[in-house]
Amino acid sequence: MNLLKNTKLLFVALLSLSPLLQAKAQTFAGKQIKFNIFSSTPIEDIKAVSYTGVAVLVAQKQELSMQLMIKSFEFDKKLMQEHFNENYMESDKYPLAKFKGIIEPKIDWTKDGEYNVTAKGTLLVHGVSQGRTINGKITIKNKIVSLDATFNVACAAHQIKIPSLMFTKIAETIQVKVQGNLNPLN
Amino acid sequence: MNKTKLFIFFILLCALLAMRASAQEVDSLLNSLSVDQQFNKVAATFKSTHIVLSNSTETQKKRDLDLRIRHHFGDIGGEFGNAHTLYGLDVATDLFIGLDYGVTDNLTVGIGRSKHDELFNLLVKQKLLQQQTVGMPINLTLFAQLGLVAREPFAANEFASYNDRLSYLIQPILSRKFSSSLSLQVMPALLIRSKTLGSADPENLLSLGFAGRMKLNRRLSFIAEYTLVNELSRSELAGDLYNPLGVGLEIETGGHIFSLNFMNSEYINENSFIPSTKKSWKDGGVRFGFTISRNFSLFKSKNKNQDTKSTIY
Repeated sequence: MNLLKNTKLLFVALLSLSPLLQAKAQTFAGKQIKFNIFSSTPIEDIKAVSYTGVAVLVAQKQELSMQLMIKSFEFDKKLMQEHFNENYMESDKYPLAKFKGIIEPKIDWTKDGEYNVTAKGTLLVHGVSQGRTINGKITIKNKIVSLDATFNVACAAHQIKIPSLMFTKIAETIQVKVQGNLNPLN
Repeated sequence: MNKTKLFIFFILLCALLAMRASAQEVDSLLNSLSVDQQFNKVAATFKSTHIVLSNSTETQKKRDLDLRIRHHFGDIGGEFGNAHTLYGLDVATDLFIGLDYGVTDNLTVGIGRSKHDELFNLLVKQKLLQQQTVGMPINLTLFAQLGLVAREPFAANEFASYNDRLSYLIQPILSRKFSSSLSLQVMPALLIRSKTLGSADPENLLSLGFAGRMKLNRRLSFIAEYTLVNELSRSELAGDLYNPLGVGLEIETGGHIFSLNFMNSEYINENSFIPSTKKSWKDGGVRFGFTISRNFSLFKSKNKNQDTKSTIY
């Protein structure tokens, strides 16, 4: 009798674990997400890139999280890179940029396909969080999820101060492009 | 029997905890994927390659040329100052023009010329250690400078041989950025000369400098430095000569650095101000001085990477 009861309990216990295992099977992660930033004014175009962004996608919840070290941005001119970190992003104080959002519409992550989606969530840059809805494209092929999105970040919205002296060289709105592949975690 | 029960409850508990933790799990997963070790260099301990008078641990970036113009005015007070010289502004005790070039991000070579003694200087600066957020706690830069006095001799025998015109400075510079606003530096130095002020003044002169920067905001810093020299190897001369002490404000505007300084040293170059500062902060010997530094990026970069290729129209 007792044995039967215990077996039942064990069954319940294992059952309660099962959605967890399933959720794990449906988590995708990528660690070489490419972030391009682009500033354009009539006087100067500035480009920089980071190849080391990371992303995690919890498929069941359609939840996408991305994270990036500000110091990983590479510029052609090293002095410009230093000014970017020291004067504008203050990357000693705010080392990370983050995005966390829910992807819509609902996607069947097991099927190959291409989807135009929106991700609604919060963008954290320079220690300031902003609610954002970002449009992008998701491609699923051979269980690999590819992200591709372009959006704008207004410096003022994240309290990144650009002195009026530099307005001619640095745009008030920076274009950000995200590209990368996420592999399923087992 | 009890063991089995315990085991089952343990599993249930795990499941419960795992469900609660799943939100944090994403964050810890993100952090575990992140490769921060690669980007843990502590950059910009100082904004400029110089502090008030001395060099800092910073070197020029690769292919960047720094044009530096420096000026030291006359005594603000005392016998040579006051209103008759507009508090020293009528007098230029020293002027300096110099060019520093970054051969690599860590190696800088430079040339300069001062009004005082018509001194030409050649310098090499090599960064040996770079501070990191985890690991290396300090910056170390080795600075070496050759000085050549180009002026006519004051007395017939002043420069009996050509070597008498030369002086050599070797200075290991150590610094640490303690926080984004506070950086401190220590720089022991050996100056080798052939012309001295007499038997009490050794040819091999030791000095020990201390410097610091306190950022007031992102572009404005308070800078200060002091060099201990007379008490180290020529204490008998401590009454006639003084240790250089300078304070200033440093303003950075993206490519330009201006500093507005007050110091007791008449001279600008290390090879001159370390051995022969004759003015004191007391008795009106302090003077105003400024530095203008402009950075130029030379040779259009051969960068073919479309991701970082920037354009100036």
